[in-house]
Amino acid sequence: MKNIKSRIGGIILFILSLALTVGIKAVFPACPPHDDGSFMNCHWAEQSVSGAGLALTAISLTVLIFGSGKASAGASLAMIPLAAVTALTPDILIPLCKMPMMRCHTATHPAVIVISCLIAVTALVNAVLILRKKEADK
Amino acid sequence: MKLTGSLSFRNVKGRPARSLALMILTAIMAASIVAGTITVTSLKTGLGALEARLGADIMVVPASAASKKDLENIVLQGSMGYFYMDRSYYDKVAAREGIEKISAQLFLASASAVCCSGPLRVSGSAREAEFTVAAWIRKSAGGELGLLDVVVGNDLSVFVGDTITFYNVKCNVVAKLDKTGTDLDTAVYTNTDTIKKLIASSLELGMNDFKGIDPDKVVSCILIKVADDHPVDEVLNDLNLHVRRTKSFKTKDMISGVSDSLIGVSGIIGVLMCAVWVLGLVILFLAFTLSVNERKKEFAVLRIAGASRRKISRTVVSEALIITLTGGIAGIVAGLLIMLPFNGLIEESMGLPFLLPQAWVIAVLCAGAAVVSAAAGAVASAYSARRISRLDAGLILRGDN
Repeated sequence: MKNIKSRIGGIILFILSLALTVGIKAVFPACPPHDDGSFMNCHWAEQSVSGAGLALTAISLTVLIFGSGKASAGASLAMIPLAAVTALTPDILIPLCKMPMMRCHTATHPAVIVISCLIAVTALVNAVLILRKKEADK
Repeated sequence: MKLTGSLSFRNVKGRPARSLALMILTAIMAASIVAGTITVTSLKTGLGALEARLGADIMVVPASAASKKDLENIVLQGSMGYFYMDRSYYDKVAAREGIEKISAQLFLASASAVCCSGPLRVSGSAREAEFTVAAWIRKSAGGELGLLDVVVGNDLSVFVGDTITFYNVKCNVVAKLDKTGTDLDTAVYTNTDTIKKLIASSLELGMNDFKGIDPDKVVSCILIKVADDHPVDEVLNDLNLHVRRTKSFKTKDMISGVSDSLIGVSGIIGVLMCAVWVLGLVILFLAFTLSVNERKKEFAVLRIAGASRRKISRTVVSEALIITLTGGIAGIVAGLLIMLPFNGLIEESMGLPFLLPQAWVIAVLCAGAAVVSAAAGAVASAYSARRISRLDAGLILRGDN
């Protein structure tokens, strides 16, 4: 039980990162290609988020494996800027389609922002809790 | 007393699994209130906006295109259709009695623009300052619509002063409309001369087959504002009787289907919210009763140690308040995280006018949800608090209860 308790942060981070990585391709993908097969801008935002999602999943596995160690706190902290960049990718770093009712605006963009923000907040809370516990144990 | 040091807070912290389960339950209850009420309010706001923007009282269309569903689609989905009638009908309608204002529209469907990835709907109006559109212009450069001037819907990413290109023809955006919460937000309005220019250019480029459409000879629909001294029904009957091969509709009737759908959706949401709340309250009541029952000895010791009956019942109610308020706030945040970022997706999937209410309305709804969640905790624990405060500590500690 104690083992699971110390890894709850890592488990949540892993689930959220996996949801981002799988979701961007399967649940809330960007707009489909044109009839001639060419892609709109939002497709490249989707690709970029997918890559960042893979990186976040890998780091969250580190958080999960190290449990309540300082390495876990460090990995959690590393996830914060990466999650922030992921949230900024659609529409700010890579522009989306221009009509606000396109799928990339109605589904992809909000889903990426919500999940990335949840990852950043969870990572911060996890890091703070681990570091506070370490301080108290000293 | 510091919160972290209070007995109730330590009780909540001491049973993390039970507290977390009850917090999740309250979060679901609060999220259902926030999401449900925001959805219903948004639908009502959308319908109100749509009603307010129906500047015309009557719409006249060719008899062949006169199914009510088609007309609802024109209003809601902006699906302009490809129906046209001879312009002579405009003069016939204009000659009838009780007509204050009249305007014809020509629908040019599915034009694509350089600005936008999806299809647009271009609507040409016979009157440049058309009364049906003028009422919802949010931002305008002022003046009459000239050649190649367009008025654009709210969802198009162009602004007053920008240009928008259709079939290699650059048009000037001179006004932007208010949001309707329907697909009409992607419509483009312009005058007849501009429509002619667009059709000519599309034919040159071979991009569309608009050969049969001559803006000087055909119109898609005629919009009428009835004079104040004439009842709308009277004018409507007169038009249906005397202007043959056309069908006239009251614009308000066209959105009655939407209104019915809204009542249906609101009813379903209301029933679901009630079900979640009744179930949630029963579970909270049982959870608090069982929890207090199994801690009778704990409370009896507190009584013997000098805690008053009021102190004991306050401890039980505070525990419930801590749990339900924390869960309620989490639920409100979750509800907002679903409703605010995904409102476009909800609008699209419902196919009904959907306009989020103003920020202060959402704030009031959230505050209400927090109060109701806390009240649910207080109500569910009140019975247990009353019971435990009246028990005889001696009997309980002897095990004779």
